[in-house]
Amino acid sequence: MQNNPAIVSVGRTKFGEHYGKKPEKLIEEAWLVASNECHLERKNLEACYLSDCFLPITNKLGLEEGFLSELTQLHVPMEVTSSVSAALLAACNAIKAGTYDTVLVGGIEKMTDRWDKIRDDLMLLEDPWSYYAGCTPEANHELMLRAYMNKYGITGDNIEKLNLALAKVAVKNHAHALKNKFAQFHRRITIEQVLSARKNARKPLGLYDFAPISDGASALILTSSSLAKKMTDHPIYVLGGSSATDFLTFPSREDLAGFSATRNAMRKALKMANLSPLDIQLAEVYDQSTVMELISLEDLGFCEKGTAWTCIRGSCEDYDGYYEVHGKKIFVNMNGGLKADGNPIGATGGAQIFEVFKQLRNEADERQVILNENPPKFGCIQELEGFGTKAYITILGDK
Amino acid sequence: MSSEPIERRVSYIGDCLRACRCGICGKEYFEIRDYCGDCGRKSLGKMRNITLFYDKGKLELCTLINEPTNKFRKLGSYIYGIVSFHNGKIKIPGRITDQILKKDEIVDFSKLEGREVIPRFRRRYSVGPSEVIPTISLAFTLADEYYPYQEYKIIAPSKEYKLPGIVGYGVYTSRFRIKENRIERAVPFIDEDSITAAVEAGKFALIHSAIDSASIGKVYVGSESNPYSVKPIASKVAQVLRLGEEVEDMQAVDAVDTEFACKAASSMFKDAASLVNYPESGIQYAMVIGADNSQAAPRGCPGGELDAFVGFGGAAYIFGKADVIAEIEGWYSVTSDTPDFWRRDGQPFPLHGGRFTGDPAYFKHVKKATTKLMEKFNLKPEDIDYFVTHQPNPSFPVKVARQLGFKEDQYSISLQVNKFGNTYSGCSLIGLAAVLDVAQSDNRILVTSYGSGAGSDSYLLRTTNQIVEKRKRQKINIKSQTENPFIEFVDYTTYRRLKLGM
Repeated sequence: MQNNPAIVSVGRTKFGEHYGKKPEKLIEEAWLVASNECHLERKNLEACYLSDCFLPITNKLGLEEGFLSELTQLHVPMEVTSSVSAALLAACNAIKAGTYDTVLVGGIEKMTDRWDKIRDDLMLLEDPWSYYAGCTPEANHELMLRAYMNKYGITGDNIEKLNLALAKVAVKNHAHALKNKFAQFHRRITIEQVLSARKNARKPLGLYDFAPISDGASALILTSSSLAKKMTDHPIYVLGGSSATDFLTFPSREDLAGFSATRNAMRKALKMANLSPLDIQLAEVYDQSTVMELISLEDLGFCEKGTAWTCIRGSCEDYDGYYEVHGKKIFVNMNGGLKADGNPIGATGGAQIFEVFKQLRNEADERQVILNENPPKFGCIQELEGFGTKAYITILGDK
Repeated sequence: MSSEPIERRVSYIGDCLRACRCGICGKEYFEIRDYCGDCGRKSLGKMRNITLFYDKGKLELCTLINEPTNKFRKLGSYIYGIVSFHNGKIKIPGRITDQILKKDEIVDFSKLEGREVIPRFRRRYSVGPSEVIPTISLAFTLADEYYPYQEYKIIAPSKEYKLPGIVGYGVYTSRFRIKENRIERAVPFIDEDSITAAVEAGKFALIHSAIDSASIGKVYVGSESNPYSVKPIASKVAQVLRLGEEVEDMQAVDAVDTEFACKAASSMFKDAASLVNYPESGIQYAMVIGADNSQAAPRGCPGGELDAFVGFGGAAYIFGKADVIAEIEGWYSVTSDTPDFWRRDGQPFPLHGGRFTGDPAYFKHVKKATTKLMEKFNLKPEDIDYFVTHQPNPSFPVKVARQLGFKEDQYSISLQVNKFGNTYSGCSLIGLAAVLDVAQSDNRILVTSYGSGAGSDSYLLRTTNQIVEKRKRQKINIKSQTENPFIEFVDYTTYRRLKLGM
């Protein structure tokens, strides 16, 4: 179809703390990289689909559209969502409908500007009753782990094996981030460090199990497939994109050991792309915690329920940490994931798309995944909003 | 700043855990809904409102929080998890309260999961000193620990009495104590105050009396440690315990706070009894609560002498004419303007008049009210089975009882200051509860309260044969709260920190 959406270029900033930079400077940086790469003139941009989650709170900025208009000196339509995946989905629909031919999709977040209050702010993504009862941004991850162990009868030695598998997820992601110049952390961590952080916290999960607080921005240029070839030799196509929702109140959900929103969104996205889960060779999953990464592998249909923790293979402290399902390798979070690449919430999805785009184009440098002497053909991106209240799945392919 | 509309909405639902049940399919939801998610529009008007405050739940999952969000910091470390009600039909978040976790304590979550828990009405989190105090009942205690589960079952009364009297009562205090010089005193947990104690005591009294909360027409709350200078505790009690019929989101009940130092509550016994006895009042039952997080300056500061005796807790009494356990035969009150103990507005701690608090104040008023009442009924000390009086410290009540001619076996049962400390407005009420816990049918009880400022109310009560039968309904009594294996003793620094609250 002529109107199939295609990504022609991507850009991002380093994730981490950008003490001296205003939010505008970050999105400018990402947008300049993306537009340079495909030689896009500003005047050819027809609309912007942006995302941020906390800018009104962290930076008292309620209308991101306005400062982007000033920055670009453009007066085109602009819309703001809470995640890059949501922005991309809206942009894809507009391209498919023929409304626009060329749009910018971007995300931005500046969380370190409110360091002392950001954990309270993060509770805005969960239901108020949980907050009133004393919940923290980390607690539900730990409750989900408890629910997972109870539901799948993980007892005795297997508890230790599960805890070890979760530690390996963090170690793997830090190892991947070593090869990612944009990542927040360039630091190898060991299984012992992960385990001892948990021990010090006296909790099921510790410091190294959670994604950090980050600043950052990301951007991409989306066009219709008919136009894409004129802008780049190697466009990457959006083959499927879908979203689903679930109750804000985590305790009242039916299944506490997984995210039904991920399952529903993935099912629809795969159908659109006419693929099955095992066609996906590369996935960027939303690992706000190590538990989320493991459980998402099940929700995405890569692993059977209750088994993901048995699937991590290879040396997780080296480059080749991957999951092996039914004899097939799935490479997950090659950029280091939210854990090590960083998690500036409104921009995170853009970094996930950035990674899959680069991998499918064989441009991922040291991180490049090679399967049977070829780069992967299909990659999927899972982005969540809140603790699984919303799930977005985007499936990208090079054809 | 807190948002008053949000506080109203959150506490309306959260304080008594309002929920609803679909009249068609039986599905249950936390919070009030107009229709069922499964049945859709056809369930409009068929949703039944329920509350979970009197139920027990099950702790399904839990974890440790040792780095809370900002407003919860004063709680330190605590257990947080998911609590289910009605066999999992409703699942809500909850915090386990009344636990002081040690700095390096390892919690075995699997030993907590699956256990029964009971909602407790507590402060929600810390706010500034000018803000509305947020409360919630998403705090829970374990049912197999200090407070066992007690079913709130409404039982139709069987007998009408000629005289009005006590139909039920409840005593609430915390599971924490400080022990110094052989005196044990109750210490609130950090999320407790006189408001939360008043509500909990009222809940226990309702359970004991087994009357419908909707049949209460008036509630009085006496306290001298209301965290607000202006805003009644009684309105909170009425709302949380749903006293009186519900009229939209209001309660058809009169609620008022009273203040007269330590006799703020006992003074209202006669008002409550008169009200239910007045045929035109239309009021079947009236509730009187005395509760205090008794205030005292730290040791070494002016007023710090009180710090050795202050306690925490409260008691609630329900008055009516049906199924009475103790009839009120009469009373006698004395009042004088004696400045023996006071606290100026805006001051955190009270002061007292040193040696003047004894003779010209406490002893004078207690003795006069008691002797006048005995004269009025032509009674001698040996005609009384039990004597109860206010207990500001361990020696005063013993001394006054002896001076009045009472013997140890008449007054010793009521002496609870060694176990709970001086609970100010709750003090003589708790002493009376200790007596009612053990009294038999046709016992005569003489209770004389004392409030600084100063005055005394002396009451003559006569127990009925219902007292023994009704006793079975109350598991949480004076004995269970003084000999409880889950009592936890804290040191002086912890006591001051907990007492100061969130």
